[in-house]
Amino acid sequence: MSGYKFSREYDVIVIGAGNGGLTAGAVCAKKGLKTLVLEQHNLPGGVATSFVRGRFEFEPSLHEISDFGPEDNAGAVRNLLENTLELGAQWIRVPEAYRLIIPKEKNGRLDVCMPFGVEAYIDKIESEDPGCRPYVEDFIALCKEVVEAFAYMAASKGNVDRKYMQSNFGNFLRTASYSLQSVFDAVKVPYKSQKIISAYWCYLGLDVDKLNFPTYAAMFYKYLSKGAYIPRFRSHGFTVALDKKIRDFGGTIEYRTKVVNILVEHNQVIGVKTEYGEYIKTSNIIANTNAHNVYGKLVNKPDVPEMAIKACNSRDIGPSVLVAYLGLNKSAEDLGIHEYSYFIYSKPTTAEIYKGFCSFEDPVGQATVCLNNAIPDCSPPGTSILYLTTLYHGDMWKDVTPENYVATKNRFAKAMIEEFEKVVGVSVTPYIEEIEVASPVTLARYTDAYNGSIYGYEITNWDSVIPRLMMIKDEEFIKGLKFAGGFAFRCHGYASSLLSGETAALLTVKEALAAKQQ
Amino acid sequence: MDKKLNVKIKPIGLLDLLAFKKLIPNRKKKFEEAPATEIKKTPPMNELAAKLHPKHQKFMITKITDLTDSMRQFELASDSAAYFRAGQYISVKFDIDGHKVTRPYSIMSSPKDALSGVYKLGIKKADGGYVTDYIFNNWKVGKVIETSGPEGNFYYEDMRDAKTVIGIAGGCGITPFFSMAQAIRDGIEDFNLYLIYGCKTLNESALKKELDQIAATDSRVRLICVLSNEEKEGYESGFITADIIKKYAGNEPYSVFMCGPQVMYDFVGKEIAKLGLAKKYVRRELYGQINNIEKYPGFPKDKVGKKYKLTLHIGNNTITTEALSSESVLVAVERAKAEAPSLCRTGECGCCRSRLISGDVFIVPDTDGRRMADKKFGYIHICSSFPLSDLEVEIPVV
Repeated sequence: MSGYKFSREYDVIVIGAGNGGLTAGAVCAKKGLKTLVLEQHNLPGGVATSFVRGRFEFEPSLHEISDFGPEDNAGAVRNLLENTLELGAQWIRVPEAYRLIIPKEKNGRLDVCMPFGVEAYIDKIESEDPGCRPYVEDFIALCKEVVEAFAYMAASKGNVDRKYMQSNFGNFLRTASYSLQSVFDAVKVPYKSQKIISAYWCYLGLDVDKLNFPTYAAMFYKYLSKGAYIPRFRSHGFTVALDKKIRDFGGTIEYRTKVVNILVEHNQVIGVKTEYGEYIKTSNIIANTNAHNVYGKLVNKPDVPEMAIKACNSRDIGPSVLVAYLGLNKSAEDLGIHEYSYFIYSKPTTAEIYKGFCSFEDPVGQATVCLNNAIPDCSPPGTSILYLTTLYHGDMWKDVTPENYVATKNRFAKAMIEEFEKVVGVSVTPYIEEIEVASPVTLARYTDAYNGSIYGYEITNWDSVIPRLMMIKDEEFIKGLKFAGGFAFRCHGYASSLLSGETAALLTVKEALAAKQQ
Repeated sequence: MDKKLNVKIKPIGLLDLLAFKKLIPNRKKKFEEAPATEIKKTPPMNELAAKLHPKHQKFMITKITDLTDSMRQFELASDSAAYFRAGQYISVKFDIDGHKVTRPYSIMSSPKDALSGVYKLGIKKADGGYVTDYIFNNWKVGKVIETSGPEGNFYYEDMRDAKTVIGIAGGCGITPFFSMAQAIRDGIEDFNLYLIYGCKTLNESALKKELDQIAATDSRVRLICVLSNEEKEGYESGFITADIIKKYAGNEPYSVFMCGPQVMYDFVGKEIAKLGLAKKYVRRELYGQINNIEKYPGFPKDKVGKKYKLTLHIGNNTITTEALSSESVLVAVERAKAEAPSLCRTGECGCCRSRLISGDVFIVPDTDGRRMADKKFGYIHICSSFPLSDLEVEIPVV
């Protein structure tokens, strides 16, 4: 028996109150498990939070949630948050899909604003790239099949009928292990349409040659068919509501309490140790942090199965971000910023931009949001909020020193702002009333994310959401230790992280109840 | 779109199906083939974050110098002092007769000195000041103190501020500007800093000599002393007014940075309003906790001079104590010898964010730094929340 002196006991302990940890905690508590959520920071949400500078409250990370949908066409995320957990948070529909600008596309500047809605999207892309309609229709039909196949797989809970899959989702099976580019080519989507359709690629952080097709297809189709949503009061608006739900359901959530050790005996979780030296007993842990942290730091070395280390080493950690948050003392309208969401790609190919994410050069791709164009009163009258985001792999910043840190992040932020001004044809710099620049270091500081990554493991074909979902049980290298969040089996992004918490919770509930009955 | 699609990547679609079947074995093979080398515990970004933003720092007091009759400079040394932006502060932790309290102090030294493990603080003795009394009696050379990492947003930011900053300082409010002036001299910052320094008399103008020296060698730094209690040739006299600011600002656009006691903010704030500057060009450092809240506009008159019951939940412990209407909930916690997290003590930073379970508080609107959703869900920053009834509050552990 273990010699630990446990001060209390829980059915489940959730480590980390990020998106996945919060939904995991809420679902476990709702299902009647004695639940404890431990969070090292003093706020819920991880990156799903907010911060205040002067008269502005900024959204740190979210651009838009997919798989949400309106009340009468609810997606899985709305179902989880508003129907299952009854958060009662306010949600706003984002006005357009995106404006995509590629200033140096090989046939000249590409500048399109794409709407939501499958029909509207196809009509618009046909007007931009005449003759593309039949191919784009095929592509979108394929995306729809992917979404349906995922839904079937999720509903079958691991008991997939292969024959049924083959007769109903043959295209899904045949494209499952290929990249977005391979499928574009197979379906003969014209070049310009490829560019327009792949605009969201940076949300998954991997160029179209490497990015797994079905993972992209599912996200793309859900955006088109259900629109995109954001919380009315920044991400903190729904994460603080999730915190309350955990308490309302009888769960406990404790902040400023870092787990420093996961205790294991005979390859079974037996508890955790906190930074204050408290030992808390449990047989179930849902880790809302990545496997690198868990197996590299939290579990004592002799207790880590070799395969868990190898699995970590086989995967690449996704990128981190550089974000410039601007509080501007002029309205979006007066500034001439008319769209909510901008993708600006300063190099023609996604491979070149991805290379930029893996460099220490000025940003070559940005996703920029003007919050007022979705929530007009998100800042005081006559002002606006703009945030510009690019990606960097944490390792690219490894030579940055404390002395040149501010100059470095500001140099990149400035380059990104200048590019936005030049490409969109607006001026924002003179109107900056508040500015904050977040970097990979900021992410590491506040969330303890491994190397500041905001995305999970890279979504390559061999490690896409499909094999991850199919191997969910094989990957419980230590019994009772499950994962939720961007590093988990649903891959990264708000929707995936939130839903992964629910899945991890339901699996835990099933096991915990079975154990209790024994 | 009801025609039957038949997508194949490879000319023979069966190969694609085979690829699907191989997804699991392939992934297992990838795992198998990966090396079992140790996972790096602290990758570069987490390492840099820990250097830039340590949660705690320990310093030894190595030198004490009197700057004026009532202001002392404390030189602190450590093996590693976090680098900072000129103008930032540290929160110092005290244990005074079992009361665990904190105070924020601007770092007055150059960021360059931090590279050799040195910070300097300039602390003015306040009349009846609970903590400054303690410091002046107990901080001796050799004493070890604990602080936070560098905090705060009172620094120059070239994408936001004008190239010229009019720094308005009073009392120990000179300290962050002294750090900025040295940062300019040391090549760390690049902007014009014209300091308008309000003092009672020339004798009380701490750091004047040092600032004059910097100004003599670097034209970007200028010092203008405004003496309120004496008239001297070559110095402005009276209070800092809009006219004085205009006189020294010149014709180029400028930002105003202000740091000093609350009374200075009340007076100079009105003068700055006359300048008609856009909000972005006026920034003020936080002045620490408010000492006369009951006189604050909007504080309910029938709630003056009251004493309430305060129930605190901290971790697994519940403590019941008293709270005065004239003191913040944070101070009540500290009086009860309990401990709450705190940094800025002005309501802005949110470090002391706590859950108000029941009761009413008065919150200073000017410095209410709470998030919108926190207002709705009943969270308060206890350093700037004053009791208006019995309270029950859940406070995070320290």
